Amino acid sequence: MNCETCQLKELELDPTEIRDVLRCVVHTIFFHRALGLVRPKDVDCELFEITYVQCGDAELEKKIDEKLEQFVAWSEKHPNRKSQVCLSFYEVKSKQSSWFGSKVERHYWEHWIVNVNVHPINPPRSSFLNNREKVLEETSTRRSALETSVREILFQIIKFANEKQEHIPPVTNTEVVSFPYEISTPR
Amino acid sequence: MAAQPDPGRSTEQIVSQFLSKALHAILAARIPFIHGPTIPTSRPPRKRDRWFHLALGDPPPALEHPSGLLPNGVMEPLVVDILLSPREDPTMPEAIVERWVAQCEVPAPWSPLHSPAESSSNSFLVKRTYKKSIILLRSIYSVLRLLPAQRVFKMLCASNQSYNYDLTYRVSSFAEPFSRKEEAEFRSHYFSPVETQYGQLAVSVQYRPSLSQFNLEISSLLPPMLITDYVGSPAADPMRTFPASPSERSATRSSISYSFRGSRDGRPSTSAPASAPLFNRPHSWTGAPNEGPSHRAQPAHQPPTGSQRKPTFNFDEFKFSPPFYMSPTPSPPKFSGSYMQSPLRAESAPVSIPQSGTSKVKGLRSPNLSDPTRNFLPPPSPKSARTAEPSSQDSESKSFRKPDGLRISDAYSNMYGTPKGPKDGKDDSGRFSLSGSPRFTFSRSSSRISVPDDLDDPDFSYPFAVDDVDSSDSQARSNDGKEALDFGHASSSHKSQDAAVGELVHMLKTAAPLRDSTYSSQSSKSELQEEGLGSTSSFFMSRMASDALDELQSYKNIKEMLLSQSRAKLHESLRRNN
Repeated sequence: MNCETCQLKELELDPTEIRDVLRCVVHTIFFHRALGLVRPKDVDCELFEITYVQCGDAELEKKIDEKLEQFVAWSEKHPNRKSQVCLSFYEVKSKQSSWFGSKVERHYWEHWIVNVNVHPINPPRSSFLNNREKVLEETSTRRSALETSVREILFQIIKFANEKQEHIPPVTNTEVVSFPYEISTPR
Repeated sequence: MAAQPDPGRSTEQIVSQFLSKALHAILAARIPFIHGPTIPTSRPPRKRDRWFHLALGDPPPALEHPSGLLPNGVMEPLVVDILLSPREDPTMPEAIVERWVAQCEVPAPWSPLHSPAESSSNSFLVKRTYKKSIILLRSIYSVLRLLPAQRVFKMLCASNQSYNYDLTYRVSSFAEPFSRKEEAEFRSHYFSPVETQYGQLAVSVQYRPSLSQFNLEISSLLPPMLITDYVGSPAADPMRTFPASPSERSATRSSISYSFRGSRDGRPSTSAPASAPLFNRPHSWTGAPNEGPSHRAQPAHQPPTGSQRKPTFNFDEFKFSPPFYMSPTPSPPKFSGSYMQSPLRAESAPVSIPQSGTSKVKGLRSPNLSDPTRNFLPPPSPKSARTAEPSSQDSESKSFRKPDGLRISDAYSNMYGTPKGPKDGKDDSGRFSLSGSPRFTFSRSSSRISVPDDLDDPDFSYPFAVDDVDSSDSQARSNDGKEALDFGHASSSHKSQDAAVGELVHMLKTAAPLRDSTYSSQSSKSELQEEGLGSTSSFFMSRMASDALDELQSYKNIKEMLLSQSRAKLHESLRRNN
């Protein structure tokens, strides 16, 4: 079975933006790959005027938040570095390795790689009173550019999720997240 | 051996349900208040929710029967236009902000996709079609939230204000193509098609990338008016019913007209019940909350040559008001013109308890400010209203749905009998108008307050938030042993009277201890002498003490009078009961 990989466009984030942006991206991926019965839940981003959709599964939300917290903690220890958050879907297959036992293997069939460049965005040090408006304007410009990038990434996810479907295994259970998955963060 | 399901029928059912669900998702994300209350998570998923593993809740009445959506079968395209309709100026044209097109396209004969699927792989194809349809629906659902119109939708839903625009929709099987100039204003997004036995199920959307040209602002439709009997006003009768929102009131003036030109088609529809209408003509229907009879005349249109569609496409459109079909959310309490005609009442500001035992204290009437069953506060926002009042909304939305569903079915039944007529003939046999007034006067506003008819003591003050209890309640309370104070009016408030008595007692108890006048004068004299003040001060002090004593006596008299009156009333009521 083929394994498809989707490399998403790189995001330049301030540490304060990591959670909001990555939550939006990861949930959108899950919404397109969790093929069980979902009750969609609209969620508004905190920092942008973007509404994305969650699957409405509390356990999934909790796991995603845990992983994102791990990533945030890592990025605080390793500032100004490019990194990746990888969401992978796999199948579990048992392989007869010897006469006496079988080995469980994971056959990954899809990887979603979220490229992130985290670096604090510091306003230029100058006279605060004189450049306050300028600083606000630059922040606003940067934020709207980031919002545009996030939108592009969401459309990229939707496009990939629709175009690449042949490799998706059949749905065998009725759970919300119908396929086992793994979220990998740098260590 | 069990009979295998017919793959062709399964595919048709999948496509039909897909189009219905896609339309449901589009309307739920674009038309304010068309959707019912949020699906409670505890509710088990219904059969309808299980389609494509996407639980969207109950569809609007028009989508109850997917067969009615595509009377000519699944090969008919579904075109959904989302429009911004100006509210204040009906002469201004509506503007399409989004156009969704979903259709099953038969591949060209020379296309490699044209080769018929082998019978052995039909079931596999059906499963693959279904799986891909699930993902396609998820994509549609996501894209709906990413397009610019989503922001407008959220504004119209979230705010209790009325804006100068409404979001409406138009569903048809064919739509006039955009002009070149219009085409340039739109962007397109094409979803990857899903292969089916009948062809490729393709969905696309054309949308305006920016809606800034529409100055969406709060409507100034309502003229400024002085509201005297506002919610919570002392003059307002708690039982008074306030009318619906201005949008609903304006909709009462609109009529809903359906016009059909249809004919019976002998082709059976596999996915429809036996009584479903079958046509060889497309139809369209729109949703416009505040419009009158349909003024839009859609010209008969010849499809482009080479198309595999049927050559004649004439459609009439009818408009109804989906927001008021459903209208699940309470609208803010708005006041009609009749309120302006009501006499202005001079309302005094709340003051303290009257100090004299005179008959100034007559009728204690106070608004029902503390009774939780009478909501004086503005209704919550639609979202919170949906979550806060699920049961009432369920019942009310259902009461909406049933008559509307029946009306729609009547509309369809009218279509059965229409004979095959000329393509552009005006056939009024199927036309009927639906008066929206019963529906529109239904107000989901939770502020049902009645104006008292006999407030004849404008100078009386209501210092406390009390309940307005009628005589039956007073009897009940007296039977419970509570003191009921009645100042001579059936609608007197016992709680306020109790509170008044309580306040009196409290004042009496907490009043500064009054010394003996001689002692006080002597003590005050000594104090003043000590302080070096003159005899006039001592006289003044004794004067204050005597006044206080008089006041105390008057309070005691008032108290005794009140108590005696209440006892008399209590005895009377007991005698009546016996």
